[in-house]
Amino acid sequence: MTADFGIKIEGVSHAYGGGQSGLASGTLALKQTDLLIGHHEFHALLGPSGCGKSTLLYLIGGFIPVQTGSISTQKGPVTAPGPDRSIVFQNFALFPWKTVLENVMYGLQKKGLPEAECREIAQAHIKLVQLGGFEQAYPSQLSGGMQQRAAIARTLAVDPDILLMDEPFGALDAQTRRVMQEELRMIWKKRPKTVVFVTHDVHEAVFLADRISIMSARPGRIEHQIDTGLGPERDESTLTDRRFVELGEQIWRLVREQAVLASRGGL
Amino acid sequence: MAGGDLRPASATAGHGSFVEVVAVCVRYLPLLIMMAVWELAGRSGLVSQQMLPGVGAIAAAFFDLLQSGELVINAWRSLSRAAAGLGLAVIIGMAIGLLMATRPLFRNVINPIVRILYPMPKSALIPLVMIWFGLGDASKIFLIFLGCLLPVIVSAYHGARGVNPFVIWSATSLGASKEEVLREIILPAALPDILAGCRTALAFSFILMVSSEFVIAKDGLGFLIGSLGDGGNYPAMFAVILTVAGTGFVADRLFGSFVNHCLRWKEQA
Amino acid sequence: MSTLSALLKREGLMQALVLAGLALVWEASSRAGWVHPFLLPPLSDVLVRLFTDMQSGAVFVDLGLTLYRALTGFVIAAVLAVPLGILMARKRGVQWFFDPLISIGFPMPKIAFVPIFILWFDIYDTSKVIMITFSCFFPIVTATYSGTSHIDKWPLWSARSLGASENQLLREIILPLAAPSILTGLQIALPVGMITTIVTEMLMGGSGVGGAMIAAGRFADSVGVFAGIMEIAILGMVVIRALDRLRARLLVWHPENRAH
Repeated sequence: MTADFGIKIEGVSHAYGGGQSGLASGTLALKQTDLLIGHHEFHALLGPSGCGKSTLLYLIGGFIPVQTGSISTQKGPVTAPGPDRSIVFQNFALFPWKTVLENVMYGLQKKGLPEAECREIAQAHIKLVQLGGFEQAYPSQLSGGMQQRAAIARTLAVDPDILLMDEPFGALDAQTRRVMQEELRMIWKKRPKTVVFVTHDVHEAVFLADRISIMSARPGRIEHQIDTGLGPERDESTLTDRRFVELGEQIWRLVREQAVLASRGGL
Repeated sequence: MAGGDLRPASATAGHGSFVEVVAVCVRYLPLLIMMAVWELAGRSGLVSQQMLPGVGAIAAAFFDLLQSGELVINAWRSLSRAAAGLGLAVIIGMAIGLLMATRPLFRNVINPIVRILYPMPKSALIPLVMIWFGLGDASKIFLIFLGCLLPVIVSAYHGARGVNPFVIWSATSLGASKEEVLREIILPAALPDILAGCRTALAFSFILMVSSEFVIAKDGLGFLIGSLGDGGNYPAMFAVILTVAGTGFVADRLFGSFVNHCLRWKEQA
Repeated sequence: MSTLSALLKREGLMQALVLAGLALVWEASSRAGWVHPFLLPPLSDVLVRLFTDMQSGAVFVDLGLTLYRALTGFVIAAVLAVPLGILMARKRGVQWFFDPLISIGFPMPKIAFVPIFILWFDIYDTSKVIMITFSCFFPIVTATYSGTSHIDKWPLWSARSLGASENQLLREIILPLAAPSILTGLQIALPVGMITTIVTEMLMGGSGVGGAMIAAGRFADSVGVFAGIMEIAILGMVVIRALDRLRARLLVWHPENRAH
């Protein structure tokens, strides 16, 4: 059998606007990136904006084709999007013409499950993200936090091996964001999955992740990897844990270097 | 709606119904004022009754036309042409617009044709359809079809191109195929634009229906207006004109409530 | 950047090829007799007719008359409708009186009123221009009213707190903020005005492209009809492009112009 890994990224480079193979022209977003993410590991990708962390996530998702290098999961090399690698976006990307229930049922119906079972699984996931009672609401009737809960339920319902999260709490206010982080960690404990979580919020990364990759300014590559070693339990008390505070400062210094580089125009 | 705890129920029926009646009266008072001015202008002799028949005379002429069946027959001829042309345009225009948005080759072939036809005032085609199809139904249906086609194509194309790519990515990552994405994601996401285009097309269908019947027809509302005018029966002419205007208004409002029904998922703020 | 422009060029080339292909099919199908030349006269005949009419100046007289009527009606409508729309959004009394009239008038097929204007003003330019004004008026006033009433309150509050008077507020804040909607109204009204111009010319005569085309149609002169369609297509494109340009120029500051 294959080794016990979740995602294996080897020598991946990516250029935008350079045609098919044009690494020479266009903007280089990722350069020679290697990363091994463990099975059921909660992994955070941290870096300044424009460092290519979302690009890396979209490559894992199969939304944009791999140009050089390779990405593979337990199911083999990644070539196209699929329900084994489901994603949650920053702007929710719910289907606005469908109710919460219909949104959550969509992926289950695509799996070809019978209608009653789709409904049952969807209901369970809506409860899991604490949206019970809002099954028949349209996304436009919900607050941002509730919309993101619905999007998370929709993604979890298809039971992906890998959960990709693209700054999922970036559009939420500070309080909602904190609550959602705790809930996400709790849900993940109940239903362990390999998670790749993209963020530019240092404390969010430290609070949530088992391991953190800090990416460099453009062209992006993995500059540091850090084990948080905070243990499986994360709650209110984690925030005042000495290790949490120290890690936060240490990582902030590393990210700050990259952010300063990035703001100088990536020269 | 189910899950009704989301928004408070509207005020209970009967509450303040008197106030509501007064509010409606106040709202539509300007219409009554205009009608009164119209009536007085004729009565006072300020404008000749020939030029501006009184409200009463027009109403009487309207009921005469209704009783004789003339109005109903001609309205049926006109509206069935408009509906045929519009219906064809909506179906074909939607297909073309969506294909243009998703198939680059198709877009490149169709786009130049659309760009030439779109800004052309379609009434210019009246003599052409007369040459091609004569004075019967076909000429008018074709004209209305062409006139309505372009707004539908353009709106479907823009709607489909404007779909949030993350919504499409979400669907593919949940296991939707290319064809399912088009049918289940792009089509409903583009629906607001498509319906807006259809509403424009509806307005065009009335304009082209009446214009073409003014110029080339043996029956229909436009023809009826023309022949009543030629015969000097002005109250009846006014009656038919107002009927056409009223029908156009009602059609637009009905379509508007259909749109609201289809788009009830949109923010109702 | 360079690849994008190359792609655009390729699309442009493709589109030119499509048009050339269509022209060829048109010419061939009537020359070869697949379609009766009365129904579809050869493209070359139509172009020759356009050329001779241009030499005699007939094209320019017709186009000029049509353009003059369309633009006169359109401009009068704009001059009446824009201030009224703003007033409706700012003054409750004006809004009370005009809102029901305009919301009923807007969706009506105004073209049906042509015989009334003929009855009142006869068949000459006055009647045509009034009819065109009547058609263009409603889209402009509706768009102006809706645009002005939906202006964001933050810029207004900022300007007030910076000491703008009511007059300055109107000219320097409200008008620019409502400009996108007003221009959209104008962009809806112009094609409607063109359609109306052609129809009034067809019904009332008095030269212009519409009049010339309907005459050609009655005399079974299909080459003349096609020449007229081409003239109008070009005129429509030029006029609508010009308005698009005006919009881009007036709204340089607007995000809609950032993408290109």
